[in-house]
Amino acid sequence: MNRYLLRARKYGVAAGVSLRNRLAYAGNFASSMATYALFIFVFSRIWTAVFAASGPAIAGYDRVMCIWYFIVAEVPMFGFGHFFHTLAQDMKSGQVAYLLGRPYSFVGYHYADGMGAALLEAGILLAEGILLGGLLAGALPLRSLVQLLAVLFSLLLAGSLQFLLQFAIAMTAFWFEENTAFFWIFQKIALVVGTLLPIEFLPEAAQRIVRWTPFPSLAYAPARLAVAFGPASGGLLLEQAAWVVAAAAVCRLVFGVGRTKIASQGG
Amino acid sequence: METRKRAFARGLRSYVRFLATSFSVNLQAVIEYRANFAVQFFGMMLNNAAFALFWGALIARTGGIGGYGFPDIMFIWALVSTSFGLAHIVAGNIRNLGLIIQRGELDVYLLQPKNVYLNVLCSRTVVSAWGDFAYGFIVLALLPGFGAERLALFALLSLSGAVIFAATFAAAESLSFFMGNSAGITAAVREFLLSFSLYPETIFDKGMRWVFYTLLPSGFIAFVPLAVYKSLDWRLVPLLGLAALAYLGASYALFKLGLRRYESGNQMGTRI
Repeated sequence: MNRYLLRARKYGVAAGVSLRNRLAYAGNFASSMATYALFIFVFSRIWTAVFAASGPAIAGYDRVMCIWYFIVAEVPMFGFGHFFHTLAQDMKSGQVAYLLGRPYSFVGYHYADGMGAALLEAGILLAEGILLGGLLAGALPLRSLVQLLAVLFSLLLAGSLQFLLQFAIAMTAFWFEENTAFFWIFQKIALVVGTLLPIEFLPEAAQRIVRWTPFPSLAYAPARLAVAFGPASGGLLLEQAAWVVAAAAVCRLVFGVGRTKIASQGG
Repeated sequence: METRKRAFARGLRSYVRFLATSFSVNLQAVIEYRANFAVQFFGMMLNNAAFALFWGALIARTGGIGGYGFPDIMFIWALVSTSFGLAHIVAGNIRNLGLIIQRGELDVYLLQPKNVYLNVLCSRTVVSAWGDFAYGFIVLALLPGFGAERLALFALLSLSGAVIFAATFAAAESLSFFMGNSAGITAAVREFLLSFSLYPETIFDKGMRWVFYTLLPSGFIAFVPLAVYKSLDWRLVPLLGLAALAYLGASYALFKLGLRRYESGNQMGTRI
């Protein structure tokens, strides 16, 4: 078998094991599904009240677009937003020393392990969101199969970027004993920049700044593709891909520098 | 009659001393880990501030939502944060009550000469709740018209809100006596009560608003207090206090009813 395929296979196995673990405790999905549904309901009411008072469109979005935007933007936040704690715990508990001796890339293994379960959860949430969106706002405004594939690919890129950025933040544990605050700051910026509301709603100066950061690639890009697919959509996907590559490079660099600080005591 | 009054006053003083001691011990325990305390304190304030940015950006575009302006939304965020924080500072075990019941770990509280309900709830504090508590006062100080009278009113409204939060969460957790594992219902009650309290009442259909004054009392935690605060109408404050006592009484009654069904886990336990 081709050696690249063989390499990919072990990460496929890691993803599969993680997926089966998650499926074994299917009840664990209930909590995030209930919270996601609650948020969709509350925000559908907010957008209904907003557009009842201010007219048919704000910054190019109408009520239906805003509800669907929120539904899609929350999928990466709920589905791919929780890698940090497991990764940081591995660093603090010393599990990292155990994993380093294994015949796989530390980053690649964690990516496969994390994404295997997260993809399933994101898929379930997306299905739930589509159902709820249909009830609260009408059918998803998809125009073509290409748009659907672009949204799904964009969600995958958003999930990958979420993982890589959270990985880089978790690796700061090499230098800081308590690094949860960094994750909170990251999480809250991601929430305000493109998740709770489209970037076009922010003041213009803020819009100009955030477009130079990876945050729009985390939730804004897939949500925008879902509600306003057009000629500029390819650019959004390219931007996401570029941020994934850049974040992967940062992860390798941070981990490469940080691993020199590991002192294995045996036992 | 006089003797009974004295006994009541003595009992009340003893419980005030007991709560003060619990609070003091809990505080010393969290301050022992200063870095962790600081991270959670400021992290929670940051979490709340992120939503302020959201509302600021949205209301700048729309002028208001369902009749609520930016100061109104910030007031309910301030009040709910401080009430929620106070409930979890003083009665931090409301998060764990269901699990304690489920594991049969109430024995250690049953053997002590204090009310079990109060004892178990107040035996822990939640570190991040201090951030919630402080956030409300900071936001309040930035709101227009802030002064000594509004600060006093806010403090009283927070107190009744905290009692309602604690009573409602404790009631949901007490369902573990009857169901074994009530984690799903408890999580739903927590999320729903908090979420409904943080958004304008008017965005929800009139048909569902009765829920805000019964099962999920967001009305008494946020919406009525907003009207009281805006109009500086102190007459409604005692009524909110009575509502808080009613929820506390109902929560306590449910706990007492459930306690008859309690099964010990026969575990050795200590409180140091």
